[in-house]
Amino acid sequence: MRARYIQRAAEVSEFSQIPIWKRANKKDIIQIGFGLLVVLFVLSSYITSVLHLLTYDPLEINLKEIMQPPDYKHILGTDFMGRDILSRIIVGSQAYFMPGILAIFIAISFGTIAGLVSAYNSGRTDAVFSYILDLIDSIPKMVIILLAIAFFKPGIFFIMLIVGITNIPTVASLIKSKVIFLKKRNFIEAAKALGLKTTDIIFKHILWYNCKSIVIIQATLGMAEVILIETSLSYLGFGVQEPAPSWGNMVASGGDYFFRGDFYLSTAPAAAILISILGFYLLGDGLNNLLEWRRKR
Amino acid sequence: MKFILWKPILKLVLREFFIAVFLLLGVSIVIFSILHLAPGDPLHIFINIQTQNPEDVALLKRELGLDRAIPIQYLSWLNKLLHGNFGNSFRTGKPVFGELIKVGVNTLMLTIGSMIVTLLIAIPIAVISSLRRHPVLSWGLTLFAYILSALPVFYLGYIVIYIFTKKFNLFPFLPSGAVSSSKFNLIYFFLPIMVLGVGNGSISEIVRHLKMQLERVLSEDYIKAAKAKGASIWRHSFKEGILIPVTTMVAAKIPFILGGAVVVEQVFNWPGMGRLAWQAALDRDYPVIMGITLFAAVFVHVGRLTQTLVFAFVNPQTGEKGEGD
Amino acid sequence: MSEEILKVEDLRTYFYSYTKEAFIRSVDSVSFSIRKGEVLGIVGESGCGKSVAAQSILGLITDGPGIISGNIFLTRNDKTVNLLDGLSDYASIRTKRKAILEISKDISGWLKRSESLMKGIRGKVISMIFQNPKSALNPFITVGDQISESIMLHKGIQAKKEAMAIASKWLERVQIDSPSMRLYDYPHGLSGGMCQRVMIAMALSSEPSLLIADEPTTGLDVTIQTKIVELLKKLREELALTILLITHDMNVIMQLADRIAVMYGGRIVEYGLKKEIMDSNSFIRHPYTIALLNSIPTIGEIKAKERLRAIKGDVPDTITLYRGCRFYERCTLKNDRIKKRCKEAEPEMIEIGTGHYMRCWLAE
Ligand SMILES: Nc1ncnc2c1ncn2[C@@H]1O[C@H](COP(=O)(O)OP(=O)(O)O)[C@@H](O)[C@H]1O
Ligand code: SF4
Ligand SMILES: [Mg+2]
Repeated sequence: MRARYIQRAAEVSEFSQIPIWKRANKKDIIQIGFGLLVVLFVLSSYITSVLHLLTYDPLEINLKEIMQPPDYKHILGTDFMGRDILSRIIVGSQAYFMPGILAIFIAISFGTIAGLVSAYNSGRTDAVFSYILDLIDSIPKMVIILLAIAFFKPGIFFIMLIVGITNIPTVASLIKSKVIFLKKRNFIEAAKALGLKTTDIIFKHILWYNCKSIVIIQATLGMAEVILIETSLSYLGFGVQEPAPSWGNMVASGGDYFFRGDFYLSTAPAAAILISILGFYLLGDGLNNLLEWRRKR
Repeated sequence: MKFILWKPILKLVLREFFIAVFLLLGVSIVIFSILHLAPGDPLHIFINIQTQNPEDVALLKRELGLDRAIPIQYLSWLNKLLHGNFGNSFRTGKPVFGELIKVGVNTLMLTIGSMIVTLLIAIPIAVISSLRRHPVLSWGLTLFAYILSALPVFYLGYIVIYIFTKKFNLFPFLPSGAVSSSKFNLIYFFLPIMVLGVGNGSISEIVRHLKMQLERVLSEDYIKAAKAKGASIWRHSFKEGILIPVTTMVAAKIPFILGGAVVVEQVFNWPGMGRLAWQAALDRDYPVIMGITLFAAVFVHVGRLTQTLVFAFVNPQTGEKGEGD
Repeated sequence: MSEEILKVEDLRTYFYSYTKEAFIRSVDSVSFSIRKGEVLGIVGESGCGKSVAAQSILGLITDGPGIISGNIFLTRNDKTVNLLDGLSDYASIRTKRKAILEISKDISGWLKRSESLMKGIRGKVISMIFQNPKSALNPFITVGDQISESIMLHKGIQAKKEAMAIASKWLERVQIDSPSMRLYDYPHGLSGGMCQRVMIAMALSSEPSLLIADEPTTGLDVTIQTKIVELLKKLREELALTILLITHDMNVIMQLADRIAVMYGGRIVEYGLKKEIMDSNSFIRHPYTIALLNSIPTIGEIKAKERLRAIKGDVPDTITLYRGCRFYERCTLKNDRIKKRCKEAEPEMIEIGTGHYMRCWLAE
């Protein structure tokens, strides 16, 4: 390791609040920047597809232009029905945007409530909550989803609802252990003794000051997970159904051509998946580093 | 000579065991209720009601016990369950239990094997980057771990199959995109394990957790003291810094890897529980799907019990001081 | 006069603070030496750099970017090694018109070098016991295993059984009851005082030439503190130990030390033999030492459970570059004659008696 540091004028006030951009090191900036780019891409592709700003209709079948390798006209080529892959990738992001937000919202809001409640009320309430959460946690997510598919033939929103619910226990247990940790340190008693309002303690001092990294990490992991689950389900034939595009079903349907040597059909959407998940991971890590940043003395 | 306090360990394991049984009971209730909540009469499972005459339907209902109160139905279902009777598969007509045992072993092998592969990748990365000696290297390795986790597992399967069938001609290629092998083939056995191990998507989380815990432990006073006495810091940080977090992650990620197994078994035609689950979901083969759910839940709880056991042996305080943050 | 075992010259240990973009000069040009069989006490309020100094000797400061410099000579069997040998090869400084622009240091390179220099020294030649004995023992390993590890590493004993037998003897030496039973206990089952005894046993079991005791009594009950001090006293006589004793407690210093170094804000402000400094005829002492001595509660105060009298004011942060004396703000003895000088220039170490040094304008 080669460390470089610059010694500036010595006098810096003890209590000066260090602004966020000063805390960030190069690594954080690269990570967050990359993550934000991905978020921006997902967001802008969502907007383009909602506003129909695309050059090619992602659903339009053009049998004259089947399986065109990437060229200047179709930047990522066309698929086996002559549809433009780039437009399909852009529109395909819709499959994750709203359902993903729904899943994350459910997991985090209910998880936080459950964690708080069971940490605050030890005893019977805690036992009941823990039992229910453990129950959800005892069945693998994929199996619950297959169970639901077998019984209800659900759409993508319903599936993401299930993903959200199955993520509640993780969030809840993280929040719970954090609150218990704070309780053990007499943090909450001290806050009460200072005359803070209960709502203030819970929302500002517990959730905002102490749990935001949990929330951020879980949200970004959740988004990544949503994409991966839809992808897996698409491969199994239960994801977003053709002809509507999703990255998952594009990779899956490109599979046959992959073995014939036409890699680009499934590689382009796979790269989209890879890059966006990586983006979410890095965004979560970078934000965590920044927000959980403790004074390094 | 070492004194192991068997009594508290036994007590703890028994407690965990009872909790597990209690939870499995809950799982069975949930599944049973889903069966009854699902649109349509559960009788749908057995016959097409519309084409039958009402009297036959009523008779069948009585025979199957469907005319009784739901709690009683549940109890009789449970009773059968306890005797290993999960019902018969609609597709094959064979008892579900026997079939599950058969494929369960395969899935167990796949899951455990790929967990080992995952750990073989994740632990070195976490250890190297927790040392903070080579920031660029450790960042690169972490990035590598994240990329592995971000890759859709079946796409990884495509690549691997393409290489092994087309380039090396190691085994026949099926048009369905799957691989089949009539005789036992070592590569055919290891490929799915490698693919699931690398691509199951949990490497990133395992690396993150391990790194965090290891960094915390390495900054403990007792590690500094160990260093001061000239001892190996790895010997001293092993239990709290590696063994406990690894066990935690293994137990926590078993469900996740089981989910990945569903896909990988499909890709590689691996005759396991995941493939059976997929087929059952396609066929709406309720008894099979429910059997699998219960099996999977048992699997998960076996993992957790193992974790409890490891904690109890590692930790003299029998699990009291698990992990701090 | 017996030979010097350890000679520390101009030791500086700086940490870099990202937030303040400046160096924390925890140990700032400290020099002292320890002779064979002697107890050197380093005393000062907490936060003035004592632990950092001690850990620098053993190369235990590995935190992030920072600077360590100086010389640490360790003499053993008539051979002297410098524990900071070749350090300057790992750092480079870019300056412009005498102002430091950038310092860069190959930390991992230096750590590797330091590890190899320290090989065979840590635990064997120099042992250390830590403040907070409870957190310094590995909670996952039994007491016996931890002590016998030390014995097996440094005494060339291979057999575990033999090592355990020796460990048991050491536990007896540090006055732990039924030592052969205790060997199989985990640290969490022991009280703080017991843990400290175990630490002492572990540190001494390799029969080191130098024992560094960093706050051996801090955090323990008052009665247990006295017992630990008694134990150290007894062991010192039995084993002819050489000890670097670090404490904020003047009481402990008075009972154990032969020589005293008083530290303040990363610097040594007074250094000399105890009898020289404490000699009632010697009217000249550093104002900080006087303040420390005044803070010792009398027997009556202890009985009345009165709180320790603290020195007014706070330890200075070691970031700010003071031009004057670091004790200036809190010094009650500065008089009008020297006040201006105190504020404008930092006093040098001045020899005021044989081997008695002091960093104060009053000494002139
Ligand atoms: N790892 C570190 N990083 C930054 N500053 C440190 C570090 N360790 C110690 N310090 C600073 O060094 C100063 C001296 O600490 P220490 O030697 O522990 O004092 P004490 O005399 O009580 O033993 C303190 O002000 C502390 O803030
Ligand atoms: S130099 Fe001045 S301010 Fe400093 S200790 Fe001496 S008298 Fe006090
Ligand atoms: Mg200290």
